[in-house]
Amino acid sequence: MSNIDRRNLVKGSLAAMMAGAAFSRGAFAQSSEPILLGVSGPLTGPNAQYGTQWKQGFDLALDEIMAAGGINGRKLAYQFEDSQSDPRQSVAIAQKFVSDPRIVMELGDFSSPASMAASPIYQRGGLVQFGFTNSHPDFTKGGDFMWSTSVSQADEQPLLAAYAVKRLGLKKLAVLHLNTDWGRTSRDYFTNAAKEYGAEIVVTEGYIAEERDFRSTLVRVRDANPDGLILISYYSDGALIARQARQVGLKQAICAASSVYSPKFIELGGEAVEDVHVGTRYFPEDTRPEVQKFIAGFKKKYNGQEPDAFNAYSYDAMNMAAAVVKIGGTDRKAIRDAFTKVKDVPSVIFGAATFDVATRRVKGAMNAELVVRKGQFALWDGKPT
Amino acid sequence: MSSWLDYTINGLIVGNVYALVAVGLALIFGVSRLINFAQGSIYLVGAYIGWVAVVQLHTPLPLTIIVVAVAAAIVGLIIERFGLRPLQNSVRIAPLLATIGISFVLDQLVMLTFSPNPRALPSQLPDVRFQVGGGTIGPLDLLIAGVGLTSALLLFVFLRYSKLGWAVRATAQDRDAAMQMGVDVNRVNQAVFGIAAALGGVSGMLVGMYYNQIDTAMSLQATLKGVVAEVVGGAGNVPGAVIGSLLLGLVESYGVAVFGTSYRNLFAFLLLVVVLVLRPNGLFASARQAPPEPLTGTFIAPSRPVRIPRWALLAAAVIFAILPLFPVSFYVLQTLINAWLLGMLALSLTLVAGTIGQVSLGHAALLAIGAYTSALLSLTLNVPVGLAIIGGGLMSAALGTLLISPSFRLRGHYVSIATLAIGEIVSLVILNWESVTRGPIGISGIPPLSLFGTDLISPTSIYWFSLAVMVVLALLQGRLLTSHLGRSFRAIRDDDIAARAYGLSLNRYKSLAFIFGGFAAGVSGGIAAHLYSYINHETFNTQQSILALTVVILGGLGNVVGAMLGAVALVGLPEVFRIAAEYRILIYGIVLLLLVRFRPQGLLGTI
Repeated sequence: MSNIDRRNLVKGSLAAMMAGAAFSRGAFAQSSEPILLGVSGPLTGPNAQYGTQWKQGFDLALDEIMAAGGINGRKLAYQFEDSQSDPRQSVAIAQKFVSDPRIVMELGDFSSPASMAASPIYQRGGLVQFGFTNSHPDFTKGGDFMWSTSVSQADEQPLLAAYAVKRLGLKKLAVLHLNTDWGRTSRDYFTNAAKEYGAEIVVTEGYIAEERDFRSTLVRVRDANPDGLILISYYSDGALIARQARQVGLKQAICAASSVYSPKFIELGGEAVEDVHVGTRYFPEDTRPEVQKFIAGFKKKYNGQEPDAFNAYSYDAMNMAAAVVKIGGTDRKAIRDAFTKVKDVPSVIFGAATFDVATRRVKGAMNAELVVRKGQFALWDGKPT
Repeated sequence: MSSWLDYTINGLIVGNVYALVAVGLALIFGVSRLINFAQGSIYLVGAYIGWVAVVQLHTPLPLTIIVVAVAAAIVGLIIERFGLRPLQNSVRIAPLLATIGISFVLDQLVMLTFSPNPRALPSQLPDVRFQVGGGTIGPLDLLIAGVGLTSALLLFVFLRYSKLGWAVRATAQDRDAAMQMGVDVNRVNQAVFGIAAALGGVSGMLVGMYYNQIDTAMSLQATLKGVVAEVVGGAGNVPGAVIGSLLLGLVESYGVAVFGTSYRNLFAFLLLVVVLVLRPNGLFASARQAPPEPLTGTFIAPSRPVRIPRWALLAAAVIFAILPLFPVSFYVLQTLINAWLLGMLALSLTLVAGTIGQVSLGHAALLAIGAYTSALLSLTLNVPVGLAIIGGGLMSAALGTLLISPSFRLRGHYVSIATLAIGEIVSLVILNWESVTRGPIGISGIPPLSLFGTDLISPTSIYWFSLAVMVVLALLQGRLLTSHLGRSFRAIRDDDIAARAYGLSLNRYKSLAFIFGGFAAGVSGGIAAHLYSYINHETFNTQQSILALTVVILGGLGNVVGAMLGAVALVGLPEVFRIAAEYRILIYGIVLLLLVRFRPQGLLGTI
């Protein structure tokens, strides 16, 4: 058993499952104990898809870490606790991890309410909370045990704005954004940067995550007469908007944030996402060795499936965790201090990741300007669409 | 001006989609007077069966529709036979809870079988688009409209002219009389569930094709919108459900047109509240129609409560109070803190739902009001945290009662739906009223709990604090129940006409119950805000309201000790099942169903 991913243990009846879990625990006690990371994230509930994507990235990274000899000869493993991204459960998980001496640091949670509700407990308990998808600007302000490799929207959105305004030459923009803390923060950074580059924001529309019908929203967009649509969306809602935009007869260029970067975006969007521009942090033909290793490894492990942005975040996060534990060992405080010491950890998203000690975040995400051509993400060739 | 034509067309297109769910809900409500919260799950199951048929088996469209309809009908029959029929002689609220449990189980089964990743469900119709106004419509729009209208029409004819249809209507009007006339009520129920499920399954598949996307989160949204549309059209009225759906679609579309996208659902739920207040039987109910809810308290049947001796309660209180003195992990304490917070919410809900009979499905709104008030008071006005929490309780009592007061004239299910809508409205106002609530960014850096200048940050002190607050609220509520006020509350629940004839002012007593309940819920929300340090509009969501109602029903309606016991059980069970990872919510749903099946009056019984 390469890690304590309990899902693998759940086979057959409840009784067999219990017996399996008990057995595996016994087995760990005998062998040299693995270094254990706690993961708090959604495996059930409305955000369950992101938790399963995390696992794929984690497992791939762990395979590679093991193949390279583990952490100074010791195994690295994670214990994934399902929080449903619900603050009530994430705080209980936080206490569970803090009071479990085997856990050396924690990764997650997914949503801001769940993550930030648990922050005070991690901070007081002196356990690092490494939130690798937490873009909320206040997340790392929770204390010196909060660290994040989530791409700062202050970094990402100006890149997207540059792609849309400077490179594609769009001057009147309609911004559609998820009305969450992430979408809202992103929108503000985007509009500021786009205005600075000389574009005009003619309309902004925030929508809730459960929304499926965007036709009326798109009529509003049409009436504002933009020359480009900006989607600050995830892949499922981004695909819905692109489809419906074409159905209501909007033919303007569409430019989307990196969070839509997923093979699912093309699967769900079909022909409608053809020619959609996406600013991303990496792309399949990227020659950087860490990207090639990641994509090839991922396809091999998961039957040819293409990785997406959330797979990359979790893969990077596990590699970062390994690098930190290599320096900090198993002492929780030493691990926190190790975050200030790690330098240039190979990363799909950042190229080489080093924390800014003041903000406890990583700056300088990579940038790739992609476009969907013939049902594939491809590097944009500079041709207008 | 041409934009208005587009908004109208878009509204009708979406209304079309809502109608498919609403018709199935209306049919079931018409016969069993039950809001089938599992209808959205059948819709989900239909979508995934459709996916298997289209993507794996490559069936042509007519065959796909038949496969989905038959498979969904079988699911419906199973639900009826094993989930609901055993409950037909128990309290009316038991089947409602059972459908919630069934929807948990179905959603989880789909998620475990197909993984939670969204999938594409390609449309099998030719991709031609017709220009209408500024936009286009496709053949799938027409098919969905066709299925919605045809099924509504067929059902209307079936109910009016066929013998089984008469039996269905007779059963709907008076179950006992129908049985005396020789109607096989079970067969009627079976027929209705089969038809409604087939319709639900097909609609899930069609909507999946429409958006080229299916995922496991679609179930709750479908149920919510379907319920709104159905009630607007008149619960149990099949053609009314279609018109209600179209109206809902139009209101949403015009709402987006005038105010913007983030206000969309606000208009849907406002429409519902307005319709419920002005025409509680729906827009299309005839004046001479008998009220669809029974006049007296069959919604909540009295049962013999379990008597717990005073010494046992005292012993339990002492054990929980001294628990932190023993070597218990902080994880256990934190879980129990969650239980005490949920316990306060359940105390509040058991008073309004159990004791006075106003079954609220929007109780999380009271938490949110308390939490935001307390957080903002302590952050912006530097009010000490202890006082801020009391302020949150008071605000929740005042504002909550004011908001819920329009539903005071409603009965039974209608109260639940109105409060559900009010809960959603509160959440959407929090999202949109950015100058006060900071919108989606939420409020961060909320100071920790403190009392008389001392911060309560260790789990032990938070544990004692929340336990003490809950016990004080429980004692107050216990005292209230034994006073004349408690007797008046129960009189209103059991027979509001008799209570009124006896001179009790219904609105005044309902207000009193909500003021007391709102305070308890607001305090719970306030404590949670300071515990979490960060809240936003998603922290207190509909799932919280449903969980609170489950706790209350599980413990026994109106039962103070039951509310606390139920809270410990429902916070504890999912934690105990952690060993089962992804399977834990499924197991939780099954346990819930078994409890409803064998103990519909709740663990400790209704008081």
